[in-house]
Amino acid sequence: MAKITGPAGSCVLLLGNEAIARGALEGGVGVASAYPGTPSTEVVEALFNASGEVELYVEWSVNEKVAFEVAYAAAICGVRSITAMKHVGLNVASDPLMTSAYTGVEDGFLIVSADDPSMWSSQNEQDNRYYGQHAFIPVFEPASPMEAKNMAKAGLEFSSKWKHPVMLRTTTRVSHTRGPVILGELPKPKLKGVFRRNVERWNVIYARKLREEMLKRWSIIAEDVNNVEFNFFEDVDSEDLIIASGLAYSYVKDALKILNRSGEISILKIATTVPVPRKLIVKALSKSSRVLVVEELEPIVEVEVKRIAFEEGFNIEVQGKSLIPQIGELTLENVVNAIARFNGYSYRLPEPLPKPTVNIPLRPPTLCPGCPHRAAFFALKKAVAMSKINPVYCGDIGCYGLGTSPPFETQDTLVEMGGSIGLANGFAHVEDEKTPIAIIGDSTFFHAGIPALINAVYNKAAILVIVLDNKTVAMTGGQPTPETGSYATGGEAPVVMIENIARASGVEYVETVDPYKIQESVEVLSNALKYVKNMGKVALIVMRRKCALNISSIANRRGIKKPIYKVFEDKCKACKVCYNLFSCPAIVEQQNGKALINMLCTGCGVCASICPHNAIVKVGEEDGEWLKLWW
Amino acid sequence: MVNGLSYGGSLNIVLAGVGGQGLLTFASILASAVLKRNFKVLVAETHGLSQRGGSIRVHVRIGDVDAPLVPVRLADAIVALELIEAVRSIDYANRNTVILANKQILKPPLPGVKTPSIDEVLNMFKEFNMKTYIIDAEEKALKAGSNLSANIVMLGALLKTGMLSRFLDLQDVEEVIKDMGGALLEVNLKALRNGYEAININ
Repeated sequence: MAKITGPAGSCVLLLGNEAIARGALEGGVGVASAYPGTPSTEVVEALFNASGEVELYVEWSVNEKVAFEVAYAAAICGVRSITAMKHVGLNVASDPLMTSAYTGVEDGFLIVSADDPSMWSSQNEQDNRYYGQHAFIPVFEPASPMEAKNMAKAGLEFSSKWKHPVMLRTTTRVSHTRGPVILGELPKPKLKGVFRRNVERWNVIYARKLREEMLKRWSIIAEDVNNVEFNFFEDVDSEDLIIASGLAYSYVKDALKILNRSGEISILKIATTVPVPRKLIVKALSKSSRVLVVEELEPIVEVEVKRIAFEEGFNIEVQGKSLIPQIGELTLENVVNAIARFNGYSYRLPEPLPKPTVNIPLRPPTLCPGCPHRAAFFALKKAVAMSKINPVYCGDIGCYGLGTSPPFETQDTLVEMGGSIGLANGFAHVEDEKTPIAIIGDSTFFHAGIPALINAVYNKAAILVIVLDNKTVAMTGGQPTPETGSYATGGEAPVVMIENIARASGVEYVETVDPYKIQESVEVLSNALKYVKNMGKVALIVMRRKCALNISSIANRRGIKKPIYKVFEDKCKACKVCYNLFSCPAIVEQQNGKALINMLCTGCGVCASICPHNAIVKVGEEDGEWLKLWW
Repeated sequence: MVNGLSYGGSLNIVLAGVGGQGLLTFASILASAVLKRNFKVLVAETHGLSQRGGSIRVHVRIGDVDAPLVPVRLADAIVALELIEAVRSIDYANRNTVILANKQILKPPLPGVKTPSIDEVLNMFKEFNMKTYIIDAEEKALKAGSNLSANIVMLGALLKTGMLSRFLDLQDVEEVIKDMGGALLEVNLKALRNGYEAININ
């Protein structure tokens, strides 16, 4: 049984994202669509895992815009739907988002935006509550996994009630916290709907009229959020007031416990941060003379509170980002400190320990043992050196971003999904001394790489595009891509080949190589670089080999024997190539500088082919099944 | 046993280690056992890219808790599957914090990286004059049948300290491991016992 399909009334430990998935089921969703992205992935993944037991249509879409549109269309047809994405994913989906409030929907449409304060796995820490304000979409913000489940359901119902999309905005610490969740009833969802032709509603030729209606609806929604049960005022008749939005409420509760001040100060908890519950705020402000607004990231509620105080003529002091950091996720110590400073509470933490006397190295995440990207980078650096070109390595979003670190350093730029080919286009027209090399993964290519590739052909950008194709979305846990040939639930899927797309886009130079074959890869890449330089056109090389992490876990599960490699110490000259230049985590340096292969080895055998002294040798044969797994 | 807490009723544990060492499994087993006894528990993972061999920290808060992260200096225990990662999490400790650490240094796979020796780290902890338990979890796990169960050894050791006794006992955790099942069931149960017996409480 999938974790999220337990019986009503039971209390289970769920990740915030799993709780949202359960809440969506309790809210009767019939369609779920997403593109994976940390910290949002588990929402739709949990629905995939549940899809054998509960009826609904779930898909991994090719990008967030399409995912949004799939769920949007379902809701237009009266089928309740959910789409989930990381905060920057909503940028990709922002085009339909901005107009979706104009048309509205026929039944509940929930957009989950998982924001990532502290940028644990993201390129920025944008606060997507602004999208709510920008697009006229109500934003619900949960304080815990339990509330996330209830809000997913309530958000769908709110959306259904006003026929208007609703955003459920989490941050990492809600999405990725496990906590107790009490399950509710699972209704039978509506899976099929009807598109009722109404050109004045679904066609934005009539946008002026739609905007007028939307603004009317917005004022009704702004009134109705005062009735949302997750907004409440814990009034203890204090002069001072804390206003806390979403997760900040949980930190405020615990901060007051640490300060031994629970129950001494009124708290207004705000769950609907867009639009804010004005009546509740006015009520709370009218009883206070000083206010501290606690919220993660940008001062969105703070600005609203100040605006309301001004409009209502309250002469009160409002603090917020003056005491709470705008950078990074909230921590309990930050909130304790802010409340103590605001109220003049004194408190003492235990004395800190002395500074550590040992120096400890950083431990950034690295490419896994056996990762085909490592072999690809090794070959690429060799090809670039042999070709005597000066590269701009245009990086992209995916595991290959880990090529930023030494020894590879093959990600000079890294901005956003598909940005590798896009930026390479621009470099090609202004930077005559360097050759742009765009490095992009298979899923990222499907997601946002294709228009930029067509642009390079059409506008004659002389660039090399390398598609590192491991046939999966590896970084987010191994979801399938349009090229994988199967769905997340199993079952055969059509295969969309990258080479075919490239040729159809007008790329004349398209080749495929196995990155594990280092020598061959060096030749293929060198020839492609020569073509780019001499012909002034785009060349595309697919370096294809399945994700080693996926293959290793399948092999372990099925008990398929991997080959065993060993370093022969008498032949090893301690040249450091395998552990320093190839930098495989499964090869470690011994005291005498010689190499040793440890238990992390996946048996890829690439180290044996790059060892200049032939000191690494296969000593144990693999099962016949082993090689088949890789293709 | 309540350590350095300015408010009672909650227990704060920081788990530190390297991606792939099974910290999340450790936390999930512990949290499930706590939940079975009807106490509130929150588990928060702080890491970028969990499966890629980077540093990982997991916060476990038990009792009267709302916020998911352990405040700095207020951890009751730091459980480290690796010694460098124990040092990296030391901000969460105060003098009363109990340290349980696996006697192991994993070198980050970066070219030319320098790591401290096991003795250097252990001497530092000695100078800190804290209650510190150093456990060879790999060895105890191998004795149980698989080095993959080193995380469960550490969980057993944590239970032995008694700091969880307000919330649960060894049997509660054994039941969760049995519910989990899997190929390593017997090994995990042995590993839990081996960890439990690995330290002496004085």
